[in-house]
Amino acid sequence: MLDIIARFANGRGFWPAIPAVAFLTVLMVIPLVLLLSFGFSDIVVSRGVIVSQDFTLDHLTKILGDRLYLLTFQRSINLSLSVTALCLIFGFPVAYLYLRSGTFARRAILIAVIAPLLTSGIVRTYAWIVILGGQRGIVNRALLDLGLIEAPLRILNTHWAVLIGMTQVHLPLMILPLIAVMTRHDKALDEASANLGASRLQTLRHVILPMSVPGIGTGATLVFTLSYTTFVVPQLLGGGNYLNAATMAFEQMVYSLEWSKGAVTSTLLLVTCIFFIGLFTWASQTTTRWIRQEGVA
Amino acid sequence: MSGAKKIALTDRIGVAAIYAIGLLSLALLVAPSLIVVAISFDTRSYVSFPPVGFTFDWYAKLFATPELIQAMWVSLKVGLIVTGMCLALGVPTAIACVRGRFKGRQALSVFVLFPHMVPGIVLGIAILFAGATINARPSIGLQSLAVACFILAVMIRIVMARLMRLDVALEEASANLGATRFQTFRHVVLPLLMPAIWAGAAFTFIEGFDNISVAIFTHGHRDRPLPVELMSLVQNDNTPMVAAVSAAQIALSVVILGVVSSTLGLEKLND
Repeated sequence: MLDIIARFANGRGFWPAIPAVAFLTVLMVIPLVLLLSFGFSDIVVSRGVIVSQDFTLDHLTKILGDRLYLLTFQRSINLSLSVTALCLIFGFPVAYLYLRSGTFARRAILIAVIAPLLTSGIVRTYAWIVILGGQRGIVNRALLDLGLIEAPLRILNTHWAVLIGMTQVHLPLMILPLIAVMTRHDKALDEASANLGASRLQTLRHVILPMSVPGIGTGATLVFTLSYTTFVVPQLLGGGNYLNAATMAFEQMVYSLEWSKGAVTSTLLLVTCIFFIGLFTWASQTTTRWIRQEGVA
Repeated sequence: MSGAKKIALTDRIGVAAIYAIGLLSLALLVAPSLIVVAISFDTRSYVSFPPVGFTFDWYAKLFATPELIQAMWVSLKVGLIVTGMCLALGVPTAIACVRGRFKGRQALSVFVLFPHMVPGIVLGIAILFAGATINARPSIGLQSLAVACFILAVMIRIVMARLMRLDVALEEASANLGATRFQTFRHVVLPLLMPAIWAGAAFTFIEGFDNISVAIFTHGHRDRPLPVELMSLVQNDNTPMVAAVSAAQIALSVVILGVVSSTLGLEKLND
């Protein structure tokens, strides 16, 4: 086995990559092309096998002309942008705390940030059902005990529950890239700024923030794409009636078995998602270039 | 003088506010998991916090629920198959991407890392369609292939990052000393790559075990993996048993964190 790997591995040629390229062609390229074609077809499915497939533009035109789809995708984009902004607001201070901490505290922060990433998203979402849920939920009990509210608030199964839960679940994805860029830069730069008489806030504003831009870009891309495409959090915290693009595709595929509609929805999801990745990357690169030119950092 | 004092005061308040938000975020990251673990030992048959008693009953119930045990086995199998496939496909590809000297090396990197941009839900649906076209119904096999395709980029990226930092001179020295290509790979490159390979294996295993976005469309109808089972459990079960399942998963992730931090180091993981 090792011998085979070694023969594959030690060449300078293309061929060690051949198996992976073939694998990805069969399991990614061809399925994505099929996905596109399914959006243009009328499909009859029986027991998970396609019985017939006829060319039609009906689904595509119907969906593109349907206001429900427009609203659903708008809701998804709004939600994901809000989650991204909240993750930045709550995540940046954690990375700053990390930059200012000693070895032991740094380790503790890394464990607190990485451990949730290794835990199932369903488990982390479940925790929020317990915290936000009905009358016995922790938040409602605390607010009632403090006398701040008279009757329990309805948080679970609303937009707010999805927003809160998604922000917490995706927070590590913003913090890790920020920590990576902040620590990569020379600490000397930071110290020089302090020696020149800059206060810590001025150093933050003129040194640390500008140099974090690429990290913000990476983190925002990760948080946005996951928030935009996950159905777990909205399904569990939004109840059955919270509809965004991902839950719509999920329901079309799993519950109502409308495969043609599901194909169009997920194609739109993929295209818009890649558009936003491009937009975020462009924004981050342009800002970085602008900062260099202006000499802010 | 008063101007300098004013700056010092706003500086202190500003930095204190940032620290406060940072600490709040850290608490919010950790607290929910701790609450779930606490609830899993509660004696009441409904979920509430803080717990009023201590019992292992929910864990006993968990191990007496055949669907959950079955789901755990399915997820374990998928996790191992996915890890094996990603090792076999990913390590050689990473080497070609970094050490290769051929036209289109850049294009190869872009191609093999592209799946990372495809959302799991889209890939899952696309592979379900492809399977239906060639009469391959959802099963453990289809699920494993789909999840491996989804996560392969992560394995490639971790190994590539490590390889880029290895000094090519080491390999050249080995060759100059008369080592064959196999000997160089076996005794020089592979040992240096091991930390990255371990970390990649840990991540791909977790994804194989835990993935739901791809798995929910491609899993076999009789072989429901743990995340799919857990998802319906969370929606339909109100007892602390769900907390016990969750706590068990949290324990597993802590073990894996220990493995990763002792092989690759937590700091390096994030570079």
